[in-house]
Amino acid sequence: MTRFARLLRVREGSTLAILLIEIVFFGWYLWPESGSGYHPFLNGSNALLVLKYSSIYGIAAIGAAIVIISGGIDLSPGAVIALASVVTGGLLVEGGWSLAPSIAAGLLVGVVSGLLISLLVITVELPPFIATLGAMGIVRGAGFILTEGRYFDVSRVIAPGWRPLGIPLDWWPPAVMIVLAILFQMAMHRLQWGRAVYSVGGNETAALYSGISLGRIKTSVYLISATLAAVSGVVLALVQGQGKADLAMGYELDIIASAVVGGASLSGGRGSVIGAVLGALIFGVLRNALAQIPGATFYDRMIVGVVVIVIVVMDQILVKRGA
Amino acid sequence: MPGLEFIDIHKSFGAVRALGGVSFTVRSGETHALMGENGAGKSTLLKILAGIVAPDRGEIRLDDRRLAHSSPRDALAHGIGMVYQEMVTFPNLTVTGNIFAGRELTGRGGVLLEREMRLRTRDLLARLHLSLAPDAHMGHLSAAHGQLVQVARALAFDCRVLVLDEPTTALTSAEADHLFRVLDDLRQRGVTILYVSHRLPEVFRLCDRMTVLRDGQYAGTFDHELRAASRELPAATDEPRAASRELPAATPEAIVRAMVGRDLPARPAFSGTAHTEAVLRVRGLTRAPVVDDVSLDVHRGEILGVFGLVGSGRSELLETIFGLHAADRGEVFVGETRLPAGSVLGATRAGVALVPEDRQRQALLFNLALRHNLVLPRATTGRSFLMRSVEERAFSNELVRHWHIKAPGIEATPDRLSGGNQQKVVLARWLGINPRVFLLDEPTKGVDVGAKDEIHEIVRRKAVDGAACLVVSSDLPEILALAHRILVMREGRVQGELLAGQADEESVMQLATAPVRRAS
Repeated sequence: MTRFARLLRVREGSTLAILLIEIVFFGWYLWPESGSGYHPFLNGSNALLVLKYSSIYGIAAIGAAIVIISGGIDLSPGAVIALASVVTGGLLVEGGWSLAPSIAAGLLVGVVSGLLISLLVITVELPPFIATLGAMGIVRGAGFILTEGRYFDVSRVIAPGWRPLGIPLDWWPPAVMIVLAILFQMAMHRLQWGRAVYSVGGNETAALYSGISLGRIKTSVYLISATLAAVSGVVLALVQGQGKADLAMGYELDIIASAVVGGASLSGGRGSVIGAVLGALIFGVLRNALAQIPGATFYDRMIVGVVVIVIVVMDQILVKRGA
Repeated sequence: MPGLEFIDIHKSFGAVRALGGVSFTVRSGETHALMGENGAGKSTLLKILAGIVAPDRGEIRLDDRRLAHSSPRDALAHGIGMVYQEMVTFPNLTVTGNIFAGRELTGRGGVLLEREMRLRTRDLLARLHLSLAPDAHMGHLSAAHGQLVQVARALAFDCRVLVLDEPTTALTSAEADHLFRVLDDLRQRGVTILYVSHRLPEVFRLCDRMTVLRDGQYAGTFDHELRAASRELPAATDEPRAASRELPAATPEAIVRAMVGRDLPARPAFSGTAHTEAVLRVRGLTRAPVVDDVSLDVHRGEILGVFGLVGSGRSELLETIFGLHAADRGEVFVGETRLPAGSVLGATRAGVALVPEDRQRQALLFNLALRHNLVLPRATTGRSFLMRSVEERAFSNELVRHWHIKAPGIEATPDRLSGGNQQKVVLARWLGINPRVFLLDEPTKGVDVGAKDEIHEIVRRKAVDGAACLVVSSDLPEILALAHRILVMREGRVQGELLAGQADEESVMQLATAPVRRAS
């Protein structure tokens, strides 16, 4: 019991607990009625499916969490995901480019978007909400202009059963997400840079008075956020086989919700990368399970909304008790 | 006539006892001071009085009726008006809007009676001798006017007890004088005033009696006889006068002893170390319009005091030296190194440290542990990318021990510390990287007497160790006690320089208020 209490004390612990409770609940709720040994929810291929789809959100949520910890917000990841999928997909399908340069070009979408946002936030001094709202429109629009309504069927150029580096394609998204999550979690807690991100989010003026370069830190967080969104977009293009300008519509809010459910505070200075990934998994499990309950899909959005509020309220209660 | 009675008030937060049975009486019509160091329980007592927190035990009685209120709004309805230390106002509303916020006068159907409220505001402002338009925007007012608008708000609802929490921290002495005259005036009209302050001169200027709290306990009430004798309230002559004979007389020494629980050591005399090598040299530093052609030298082991009224450019001078703003003209040298303009990192790497004026806003990170706060300057000036937790803990623990910071541990967040200890954290973290030039802006603002002494001691020790210290303060006695040399500023210019031996309050004030000398 005390060990469980201590686990809850760590913010990632309570997010993990919620994820496990959710899995146990749906495992029970969707238990097959009579003797058939096949469980529609608790089986290996469904687990892989959940991981695969959650990763698109999860990879971008790592960046969203870092931006939110720095006291900012990023509304552009949905648009960056779409544009990156268009660029990578278009170059592969119509451009005849080979794989590595196509991926690099897709990631470059993120770098350019991140630099644009940094310029707007730091040099033009726009509030991050406005800067990234504008960037969202610009980036999404660029996708429509490039495709002119076309859709790049990437799966055409990908051989079935392709195993890059010997790893099955479907395993790639979760693998990328987990590796990036571990890397950025360590960066946030082992590097001076990570401490500076927490400092800027906690008290920007004090950070300035301590000699931290606000411009450098903010540039880095928006650059990371947009680049991770581009990673999501490239993964989406390759694994799901499509490049389309209207992909990932509205994902930005789910991505922010993942970070918040994982412990990020929108007032800055608090949050966790691992928590954001667990948050994305919570929503992934929820969407997957609801899709298997007849009639529940209509309730999908509402349940997601209620879950965000309930988890954040629980977090507030835990924080208050801890203090 | 009983007035406001606190009877055996107890309050604990978790394991921390904030108040352990405090009882005292504020007589009706008197001006009563509530004093004590940070952490003595004053704020908790005020929060209970305002209805923000409920006491665990005990009660507050106003004119023999038990006060059962549970919110600041309730407190105001019972005739208790609070003026808070920090400005709790709406900068986006007008003065009228602020005075009537939450209790607007309304007519039929809930329509706001704008004209009526504006007229009453005009009246109130006149009573407070404030030349302000009722439609002025609160955000444009000075701190002093903001404070007085809070007083007006309390008066708008006919409060019988006016409570002021450290009202002069953000005021210049002229503004404070205005406030004192207003309070004298209110006292004449029979308003009971509870005045919370650290500052002895103010309390002696204003108050009839003084109650001191220490560590959540009542430490005594003192009678300020001179003040009480000059009272012009006819009602309070017979009975309380007899009772007041029982009380010890108020002297600064007695009150400090009650607050600190010991006698403070006498201020050590300055040895005035040999001024040889100028560590900090500022030449013609200009940043329009706040800093105008300032040149100065601070030598090894010297404490240079900079005095000036609000708006004289003192803080801006420090911030420009520190590189928070790029100068238009002029140069800053540390030793032989010329500092790059507008680079904090450049300044800190050359060994310049700045303890800013507002520790809550400009210095501390409340989302991170004390340990992270304490290593911040070392981390930013250092060139290592990695953080080493073990080393950080050792470094932080050493700072906490060496500078006697009272804290529940290095993993606690800074909000768990008293104001004085928070300030010591801000000093200690710069001292941890052994600065050659130590800039301090209002280093003892809002800290209690004991911590103030410790902070002065820290600055002196640092100077003895060979640092060049530059202390900005609006607390003239502090400058006189601490500095070897005093520069006086006005409108961004250096008005003159005095040696510690020659300077007194009068000569410094004269320079600070004299017309600006413009270079021909």
